[in-house]
Amino acid sequence: MALSKIDVANMLTGLVPNDNTIRRPNAQPIIINSDMAVAQRGTSFTGVSSGSNFPVDRFEFYPTNLGAYTIIQEALTSGEAYNNGFRTALRIDTTTADASPAATDYAILRTKFEGQDLQLFKKGTSNAEKFTLAFWVKSNKTTTGQVNLFDIDNNRLVSGTYTISSANTWEKKVINFPADTTGAFDNNNALSLVVEFFLDGGSNFTGGTAPTAWEAQTNADRNANNFAIGSSTDNDFAMTGVQLEVGEYTSSTLPPFQHESFGDNLARCQRYFETTFEVGTAIGASTSTGIIRSGGNQGGRTSGRMGHGFTYPVPKRSAPTVVFYDNSGNSGALARLDQGSSTASNKNATLAGGSQKSFEVTSTGDSTADCLNYHFTADAEL
Amino acid sequence: MIIEKVKKINNSEGEFINHYLVNDKYNVPKDEANRDYQSILAWVADGNTIQEAD
Repeated sequence: MALSKIDVANMLTGLVPNDNTIRRPNAQPIIINSDMAVAQRGTSFTGVSSGSNFPVDRFEFYPTNLGAYTIIQEALTSGEAYNNGFRTALRIDTTTADASPAATDYAILRTKFEGQDLQLFKKGTSNAEKFTLAFWVKSNKTTTGQVNLFDIDNNRLVSGTYTISSANTWEKKVINFPADTTGAFDNNNALSLVVEFFLDGGSNFTGGTAPTAWEAQTNADRNANNFAIGSSTDNDFAMTGVQLEVGEYTSSTLPPFQHESFGDNLARCQRYFETTFEVGTAIGASTSTGIIRSGGNQGGRTSGRMGHGFTYPVPKRSAPTVVFYDNSGNSGALARLDQGSSTASNKNATLAGGSQKSFEVTSTGDSTADCLNYHFTADAEL
Repeated sequence: MIIEKVKKINNSEGEFINHYLVNDKYNVPKDEANRDYQSILAWVADGNTIQEAD
């Protein structure tokens, strides 16, 4: 660094030049993987029509038989989001339409938070803070969508709306939400808040009014402004740069997006999900890349019981659900390796113990081997 | 996760290790903070039964 670049005055006073950066000095973004950079489970999923799906880490797309979709981590190469430093986005493309969803059906994009990470909002106190949510969005649909803050602990809801002004163009939206002096977030590792982008829903979720003040949760208010992504196979929805801030900001006063290193981002994601499959590789792929090889049997080759313990590099939010895979894509299995001889796939893998920090896997009597090969996933999502 | 069957997991001494094997694939801890265990509880509440370990 050239000496002329050193801000001696601020070094002496401790001041930081940009006032926007001192509100949460050195803080990480409240939303994890908000630039959609980490996709541990793979980068493309087709025919998605139900259940919990993560096109990128921490952002869950959950449809309930309301159409079918391709969901991807999209590489950005141009546009205003790209010009603002974002290289990846989450993208949803409708591949099977359902323009008349059943009353109970819905399609939601959401990210979830532990209560202990939200105490800075001071919710449920007389000093409760406002919320500001900002994000980049792009869609073919020029319509109004709805995003909700859903307080799970106290079953309370507040909503904001955003309008896609220009089709197929990245637009930045900034939405303010009021403070809530009612209902504190629990101070623990359980689910307390969901930021949900309600992208489509049946009549159970429409017909109400998007609440601009916190209220007791009512389903009819959660999708009062139906984006209706499932209404046509022409539809798509992309998002990146999702930013949740404490306080009320406009587009001109919003603190700058806090970009993290990929490594820091990945580590934060791994509190909720971890796998030995390479980042971007589909879970259950037939590959030995990244596979764990136990240290070998102290007693030499055996057809008897063998075990291996693994300590997670990042402790999990809670004891995770663990799934083992062998090198050939078989789940609930591992490979017994007779080094220098053969690898026997699809052999029994039994969990012998597990916690937030580690697990042990065993393989009982089977093919002669001197070590175990296995992939795993550990899921502690909210 | 769509649950089809749930079985207890025991250690080599025959003691329950506070984990369940779901659909012969998922090793789910007996931890109410785990969303899959929450699904098991709902599945049991619907009248289903957890199998003993092999």
